[in-house]
Amino acid sequence: MNLTLPRFFWSEYRKRRKKVSLITFALFWGTLSILLLMAFGQGLTTQFRVAFSGLGETLIMVYGGQTSLEFEGLPKGRPISLYPEDVDYLRERIPEIMTIAPEAYSYLQVSANGKEVNRSVHGTTAEFGLLRTQIAQLGGRFLNADDDAEGRKVAFIGWKVATDLFGAADAVGKQVIINRIPFTVIGVLKKKIQDSMYQGPDADQIYLPFYAYRQIDNRRRINQIHIQPHNADESKLIEYRIRTLLGRKYRFDPDDRYATSFWNTIENNKEGMAVFKGIEIFLGIIGALTLLIGAVGVTNLMYALAKERTKEIGIKLAIGARRRVIVQQFLLETSLVFAKGTFWGFITAFNIVHLIRLAPINYDSFGIEAYLLRPVFSLRIFIAYLVIVGSLVFLSGIFPALRASRLNPIESLRYE
Amino acid sequence: MIELRGITKIYRMGSQALEALRAVSLNVGRGEFISIMGPSGSGKSTLMNIIGCLDTPTAGEYVLDGARVAGLTFDQLAAVRNRKIGFVFQNFNLLPYATTWENVELPLLFNGKNAKKRKSRVNELLNAVGLYDWRDHRPAELSGGQQQRVALARALANDPPILLADEPTGNLDSKSGEEIMAILTELWKAGRTIVMVTHNDHIAASSERVVRLFDGQVVP
Repeated sequence: MNLTLPRFFWSEYRKRRKKVSLITFALFWGTLSILLLMAFGQGLTTQFRVAFSGLGETLIMVYGGQTSLEFEGLPKGRPISLYPEDVDYLRERIPEIMTIAPEAYSYLQVSANGKEVNRSVHGTTAEFGLLRTQIAQLGGRFLNADDDAEGRKVAFIGWKVATDLFGAADAVGKQVIINRIPFTVIGVLKKKIQDSMYQGPDADQIYLPFYAYRQIDNRRRINQIHIQPHNADESKLIEYRIRTLLGRKYRFDPDDRYATSFWNTIENNKEGMAVFKGIEIFLGIIGALTLLIGAVGVTNLMYALAKERTKEIGIKLAIGARRRVIVQQFLLETSLVFAKGTFWGFITAFNIVHLIRLAPINYDSFGIEAYLLRPVFSLRIFIAYLVIVGSLVFLSGIFPALRASRLNPIESLRYE
Repeated sequence: MIELRGITKIYRMGSQALEALRAVSLNVGRGEFISIMGPSGSGKSTLMNIIGCLDTPTAGEYVLDGARVAGLTFDQLAAVRNRKIGFVFQNFNLLPYATTWENVELPLLFNGKNAKKRKSRVNELLNAVGLYDWRDHRPAELSGGQQQRVALARALANDPPILLADEPTGNLDSKSGEEIMAILTELWKAGRTIVMVTHNDHIAASSERVVRLFDGQVVP
């Protein structure tokens, strides 16, 4: 391949760098703006999802209540409580249930390391860890089936409890005293953002194996049951089956909405997901409009540049340049300007995103920064950007190039 | 070398038609030096552009070096301009961002000459016009006379048999103008065919023959 002309074009491009710097900057700025906009948008929706899943993913919580309808000769106003055996009762009769766990809790004094605090103490089973995204920090673990089966006196504690009682020291292996009974800490909850809760954030909770919990709280009833279905679409069916089964067991009308109640996060999340989808579409529209404005700007600049070079093209045509030479030169310049602008836009956006992600999030106060300081750089979006803007810039380069190559040399030479 | 038979050029501007050349016939022999003179609007530049294959006639026949020009494609005309014709313009028409060297090298690049041949030819031409020491300067850093000498060197790059000069001294002081005319005369004496457009009788006196145009027609 004869590289003489490309070398000459390169040499001309280098001399004209300052002239095309405005286009280069427009592409740099466009790339930077769109990638940052999309990164913040993606980060925002991701953090919303993370915050949603802080409580648990596809989670249904079942509570007892009080009857509001008379049923089979029984008066209304009867309290309906849930009991540990209801967990097996429901698991065996509802095939749509994937995971199920009981939970009982009470507010108790907890002491350790010479300090005393009052915290919610919960009794539950190993399945609770999966249901409620209870992930342990490095070096620890959540409760397991053996803890319950062997009656182990162990505790899984929230990170704020760990800090309140043990400061910066590692809490795993240390003891906490609850109702004068010592429990060994086996794990500390990994920090997470959580936008939904019932007894306060998980960071403030203490979890014990169900059997061990019974020794400090001898009430037979439990506070709630947690359920995760095999299929999220079946959550309403599960609610119906629970009402029917518990109604039969505790003798209340299955249509009595006050006898049992549900916190169906799947149904609630559907609304949240619609909001996220709305945000994504909104950001997509803004991105597309920004892209369009940028493309129009670049097209105008390319056109102006071609117009400005009319006389130069005339000179080249007069001394023997063929059409393809003019087109090649324009396309090469367009490619170089595009590559330079987008490359630096990409590098800058990538670094800004990663620098922002280094900023710490205060998981204790859980403010706006938890949503804004975690932008997500998406290679998928960058590739889409390259394809769309690349095509637009290519088109904005090819048309002035073709126009330039078809100019009458005489008219071009007269152009001032 | 140049045979024009009944060349007519009509420019259309909306519904109006302007006849710039009317059945112009002209022969320029190989190695001849002619001047084309005439008042403004007489069709001198149009005739020059047609001879230089920068424009095509509306009617008539143009034979250049034994070959008919009519029917040549855009790129074939470009090749003719590149190899057979050298242009010298009144306002030099040099690329402003390119150096003296690069301006002279450009026609050789378009002709596909390799680096060695280009270097040797540009060296030779810049030495001939006395601008070798100015090879790295841009046009804005040169005087009018120097710029026209660069334009002359560029016109000669592919050693074309024909040189077309459109008011080559029009933008120059008298001393520079004389220098350019001296070079043109030397080139003619070396066997090149030269067609020059000028307003200046004194300049035209350097040529062998003067062709006068009036209202798009050759007048005796």
